[in-house]
Amino acid sequence: MEATNSLLLVLFAPLTAACLIAFFCRQRPQAAIALSLSAAGVIFIASLMATLQFTRLGDLSASMEWLRLGDFVVNMGLFLDNTAATMLMMVSFVGLLIHVFSVGYMRGDAATARFFGGLSIFMFSMLGIVLADNLVMLFVFWELVGFSSYMLIGHYIAKDEAAQASKKAFIVNRVGDLGFLLGIVFAYWHFGTTELTELAALIELNPALINGTIAALLMCGFIGKSAQFPLHVWLPDAMAGPTPVSALIHAATMVAAGVYFLIRIVCLFPVELLPSIAWLGTGVALYAGFCAFAQSDIKRILAYSTLSQLGYMAAVFGLGYPGLALFHLITHAFFKALLFLGAGSVIHGCHHEQNIFKMGGLFRKMPMTSGTFLIGLLALCGVYGLSGFYSKDAILIAAGLHSNLIFFLLVLGALLTAGYMGRLFWIAFLGRPNSAAAENAHESGPAMLLPLIILALLSIAGGWLNLWPLGLGEIIQDDQARLHASVAYDAMHKKVVIAGSVACLVGLLLALLFYRMGAQKDRLQTLAAPVYAFLESRLWFDELYDFYVQKVQQRVALLLSFLDVSILKGLCMRGSAGLVALVSLLLRMLHTGNLHNYVAWFLAGVLLLSAFVFACA
Amino acid sequence: MFAIGFLGVILRKNTLVLFMSLELMLNAVNLALVAFSRYNNTMDGNLFVFFIITVAAAEVAVGLAIIVALYRKRQTVMVDELKALEN
Amino acid sequence: MTDLLFYFFSLVALGAALVMVLNPNAVGGAMAMIVSFVATAALFVLLEAYFLAIIQVLVYAGAVMVLFLFIIMLLDVDKVEAAYRFDRIGTLAAVCGFVLLASMLVVGLSSSHLPVPPTELVASNPDVISQSSGIPFTSSSKSFGYSLFTKYMLPFQLVGFLLLAAMLGVIVISKRAAQVD
Repeated sequence: MEATNSLLLVLFAPLTAACLIAFFCRQRPQAAIALSLSAAGVIFIASLMATLQFTRLGDLSASMEWLRLGDFVVNMGLFLDNTAATMLMMVSFVGLLIHVFSVGYMRGDAATARFFGGLSIFMFSMLGIVLADNLVMLFVFWELVGFSSYMLIGHYIAKDEAAQASKKAFIVNRVGDLGFLLGIVFAYWHFGTTELTELAALIELNPALINGTIAALLMCGFIGKSAQFPLHVWLPDAMAGPTPVSALIHAATMVAAGVYFLIRIVCLFPVELLPSIAWLGTGVALYAGFCAFAQSDIKRILAYSTLSQLGYMAAVFGLGYPGLALFHLITHAFFKALLFLGAGSVIHGCHHEQNIFKMGGLFRKMPMTSGTFLIGLLALCGVYGLSGFYSKDAILIAAGLHSNLIFFLLVLGALLTAGYMGRLFWIAFLGRPNSAAAENAHESGPAMLLPLIILALLSIAGGWLNLWPLGLGEIIQDDQARLHASVAYDAMHKKVVIAGSVACLVGLLLALLFYRMGAQKDRLQTLAAPVYAFLESRLWFDELYDFYVQKVQQRVALLLSFLDVSILKGLCMRGSAGLVALVSLLLRMLHTGNLHNYVAWFLAGVLLLSAFVFACA
Repeated sequence: MFAIGFLGVILRKNTLVLFMSLELMLNAVNLALVAFSRYNNTMDGNLFVFFIITVAAAEVAVGLAIIVALYRKRQTVMVDELKALEN
Repeated sequence: MTDLLFYFFSLVALGAALVMVLNPNAVGGAMAMIVSFVATAALFVLLEAYFLAIIQVLVYAGAVMVLFLFIIMLLDVDKVEAAYRFDRIGTLAAVCGFVLLASMLVVGLSSSHLPVPPTELVASNPDVISQSSGIPFTSSSKSFGYSLFTKYMLPFQLVGFLLLAAMLGVIVISKRAAQVD
């Protein structure tokens, strides 16, 4: 198959599946599942083929003109380079696994067809972001991903919480996208093009073209999509959606799209802007780590963990190592998807119980799930040898080489990570069952276990860069090489390994000692309620935004609505309609039915015309 | 003659007289055309008058047929009573 | 002599026209119309358009007016009702009509507006001949027929079709009315 055809197949297979599901299979869940699953399979195979062709042929690109307004042209194009290929393989593979998992998880759900349609359209949008070759097309797919997220978070339409959460996610994303759009417009105006390859070439020729404002505006999109401060508020609430959705969208792929986007446009960033990104990331990493201690919903803990890891990715990007951000993105996708799917398995097994304090003793009841969950957890904490270790290691080394403060904070973040994850594990998986639901927990079926196992294997092996097939991850290896070549690398390396491992073990142990296995109540809450309350408040961001929306924005909206009704509707629309009615009323008076009147009007017309003629002559 | 015919069209209520006034107007135009063609020493005006007469004859025939049909429907030929298309 | 004849016949024509318009009786109006047409035919003769004069008498005065008389008598209109409109619009229309008359008279009689006859034009500018020259005027009907069949062939044929259509139309309209009866 020709090179770009496989890319097109990657994009259009899920789109076709989604359209078919939407039009024909609303009431036929089996057909929908089959379509969506086969689309995911096709995506994976086509991605494989595209990557193979990429190794043979080099960068693949194809472009088609979409809009033309005079001189302004918008193309729709696909571009596959090493970074894109890496991301593509990860997204398609993890997507396939999650599709398989969803078959088991969503059994018995009333709106399965809609769910799988949503999954397909999400895959389409996400792959569009991965493969897009210009900013406008990327933005289009960015918005489509937002829409898919909206649709999937709000899957349980009966639950008010889900509806609110989906709205929140979409609106908060939209705020970020405003900056994004402004950035695109500005970029087009400044550079004359929005194509990524052209931008890179332009900047290589003339580095003075780099503009901090453009980069900052484009970053707004990243802040919204990857839930950085201050637009991080939507991610925890997004857990109201089904667990496979949380795994796919809010752990592995969509939130990572922001980081991927940053990596794509790294050439646009002036050096001055990078430290602020690093501090932003570090801040979120710590903030989320603290907040996770006050959550008792298993998915919310994982959500804050995601938030924290995104902060890590942003931090290392800000330190100047986009490849390492990609590395952590990919390993994070593996083990975070594993953790979320494991949580899904647990939730499913405990009959939709999500509070960890109502679980307990799951290790005995659900051994496979617990085992894989443990592997994922260890990978997240950065235990030596697992995938998370390598990526986190690299990040910490980079931090240590550039800024002691950031290094210290990130190590603290690692400690916190181990702490809350340990808390989760000890309470939910060990000890005694704390509720009837946990008593009757059963191991999940093969549809759900298979992805878990595969992801566990990947979590273990994903860090071994040398084994990555097809020459993927070149940018990662470049950055690794850079790191290795830095001064004082060896000393730093040792320091980091020790610090990382110590943080991890200490965190886990402290959590065990403090929380005890299979606890029924949060011990921190019992012992130090104010501290717990403070952590639970999450720095009152939600309350702040709520206040703003209610008091400030609502008033402006009412004013605008009033203007709209009175001026636009009343004056312009009704007014113009009334004017037309008036004219028609006048004209109707001409229809007297009387022949003589008509003749008289005829005469009047003739006189007028002749007067006109004579005047002109 | 044209003006007289026009006055007839406006002022009379009997459709038939109206129609005759219309013919009068046409006749006036014929006269003018012949005069101009003689003035300009050309035959074109005369030929045009020929056509006008022909067409007017045809028009009279059709128009009268319509008036007859109208009379059969409405039982009147007075123009101010033929007001079905009012408003 | 010709002037006298012209004034006489034009007065007759105008007078008959006035009578036709003002006569409350439709039949009387038709009669006056016939007189007017004959006078116009006489004016045609004065203008050396002999063929047209004959046609006028034959077709207009002969056929058209007879048809009119037939229909008037067929429809049997009462002459009791008021024949004229005397309301506001009628007055306004009458005023406008007079204005029309006045304007046309003014325009017609002020010779400065009359275009120069093209005889001089023809002499000075040979190109004008092909564009604006008509067929040269003769009083014989032979040239009438000649130009009908050469320069005005198309209108001639079309008028034929028109007459056919008119004939068919009349038959259809009358027939439908007959079926209604």
